Amino acid sequence: MTNDPGPDREQVQREVYRKVVTIRFAELRIREHVEKEGFGGFWHPGIGQEGLQVGAVSAMQDDDYLYYAHRGLGYAFAKGMPLEPLFGDLLGRANGSTRGKGGGTVHFADASRHVLGQGGTLGSNFVMGAGTAAASQLLRDGRVTVVFFGDGASGRGTWHEAALQASVWKLPVVWICENNGWALSARFTEQSPTEHVADRAPAYGMPGVVVDGQDAMAVHDATAEAIDRARRGEGPTLIEAKTLRIRGHYEGDRQPYRDDPVLGDEIPNDPVHRLGESIPDDVRRGIDAEARSQVEQAFGAALAAPRADRSVIFEDVWA
Amino acid sequence: MTTTSAAATGVAGGTERVIGYSRAINEALAEEMRRDERVWMMGQDIGRLGGVFGLTRGLLDEFGPLRVRDTAINETFIVGGAAGAALAGTIPVVELQFADFLFTAADEIFHKLAKWRYMHGGQFTMPVVVRLPSGVVGGAGAEHSQSLETIAMHVAGLKVAVPATPSDAKGLLKAAIRDPDPVLFFEHKGLYRVKGPVPESDEHVVPFGSARVARPGNDLTVVATGLMVDRAVAAAEQLAPHGIDVEVIDPRTLVPLDIDTIVASVERTHRLMVVHEASRTAGFGAEIATQVQERAFFALDAPVWRVCGTDTPLPQDPELEQACIPSTDEIVAAARALAAI
Repeated sequence: MTNDPGPDREQVQREVYRKVVTIRFAELRIREHVEKEGFGGFWHPGIGQEGLQVGAVSAMQDDDYLYYAHRGLGYAFAKGMPLEPLFGDLLGRANGSTRGKGGGTVHFADASRHVLGQGGTLGSNFVMGAGTAAASQLLRDGRVTVVFFGDGASGRGTWHEAALQASVWKLPVVWICENNGWALSARFTEQSPTEHVADRAPAYGMPGVVVDGQDAMAVHDATAEAIDRARRGEGPTLIEAKTLRIRGHYEGDRQPYRDDPVLGDEIPNDPVHRLGESIPDDVRRGIDAEARSQVEQAFGAALAAPRADRSVIFEDVWA
Repeated sequence: MTTTSAAATGVAGGTERVIGYSRAINEALAEEMRRDERVWMMGQDIGRLGGVFGLTRGLLDEFGPLRVRDTAINETFIVGGAAGAALAGTIPVVELQFADFLFTAADEIFHKLAKWRYMHGGQFTMPVVVRLPSGVVGGAGAEHSQSLETIAMHVAGLKVAVPATPSDAKGLLKAAIRDPDPVLFFEHKGLYRVKGPVPESDEHVVPFGSARVARPGNDLTVVATGLMVDRAVAAAEQLAPHGIDVEVIDPRTLVPLDIDTIVASVERTHRLMVVHEASRTAGFGAEIATQVQERAFFALDAPVWRVCGTDTPLPQDPELEQACIPSTDEIVAAARALAAI
């Protein structure tokens, strides 16, 4: 990947913009639903963090493996998952990717697109991601595994076990920390002895890279470089994308613990605007209109889909 | 190599050898790795050392360092990594040095292995085997000696094997490796040196959910697993001259559990006793007793009894430790009393 502007790069940026703005509309549509209709699960909004998610995933190849984090839909959508099953999972509909076992966005998956899912215990994907990369190393399939996590999950011991082994074995894995400053009510600055999560990387003999998470293309470039390194057999990289938690931990969280300004609707350094700056207005408006209609259509289809039959309770316990 | 008759061993036809339980496990691993190159192993000290109990000896030389991988002391990676590697098309067979360490990888075992397929709508399979050296072995202490198979039974999504003989150790392990679901494979450390006949075949696969009648009898059914099977059979031999004909059933796997074989036996003998090394309270004996009374209450002539490990941690002293698990004498005494009711 090169940082030089050129026709390919312009195309990449336009595609990143399209996906980011689509997810932005999805974020707003979901918020509207949660506020107006009520909601049985917990929606962990990722608004404001879409840029880094889409930017990073856009640097992956189709057959690379993805473990996403819990904040939003940007990761999976960027990996090629259609919106309807994602909304279906959120709304507990039979057309969700989990065929109705979802509810909340935590556990969508798409085996055909190598979206491998998410555990309910944060940080469990550190070790799983390293293991997936170990399988790629054994099979020599040339695939790289990308693992997203938050600054909160960076406290898990699983990080240590996975990072140590992945680095010793030079596994093709890239870790991407979305540092939005808050782990529910815990301030990152009060839970980390160092300024950056990436500061921990050198102890594991891997590069640690800090990047502006509001700059989707910067995250794309950092990820592309880390993926290339991993694919060359040189081992893992830890990327830390600095971002902001715009909303509460979940939609509806009143955030009484928060001692910095609660942002609400304001998105400083909005990745949508940054990506859109270089796109001609008429082109951008066209992309926006199409994205909005895609979201409306998919959300409507998910709402109209039936809830799962109770028989799914007993399905898929065993192969 | 010796050839024994099928009648003498309970194994149908074919040639057999007498080998140790450890050797049987080692052979199962080697044969399955030769059969399917997606099968690989990781764990602490399994490569260069060949495992702390010697179970994986020689495998590094044959299969190389990418398929027999020594790890750091990192159980969450060993099991969680296996889960991730299974999602990418491989079949990991991992060893935790002691079954007790399943608690150090509890999230990975009880959540990732057990639930990943379910949570994600059946899109993935989780073909992982976790080998768990289990049970009392002589002075290993409270955190290296437990029998934790009941805990594994209680969480849906895990299959549980508890082999008691070399033949079953080999055949069940081969079945476990070929199973698309996660299997917790509880090897009893106290049986590693026990020898027995094992069929001479690469296709000696013992299906899960099929109990074995270790000793046929008519007066009392004893269900036992692991190290307790031999003790129950020894107790039965002591009782036979006294006119108490004990049938010993070894379920071989607890998930799935072959309750049909147990119920059918109780319908003939009208008495049931469950013997396990694990602590008494809420052990698998309680589950078996409940299922049998649900299905065959009127066949029972007496209460269902349990002879079990104590509800205590295990002391490290080898003599005290033995006092915490059922002895042959205790099984004899309990069976005699139960038969007299």
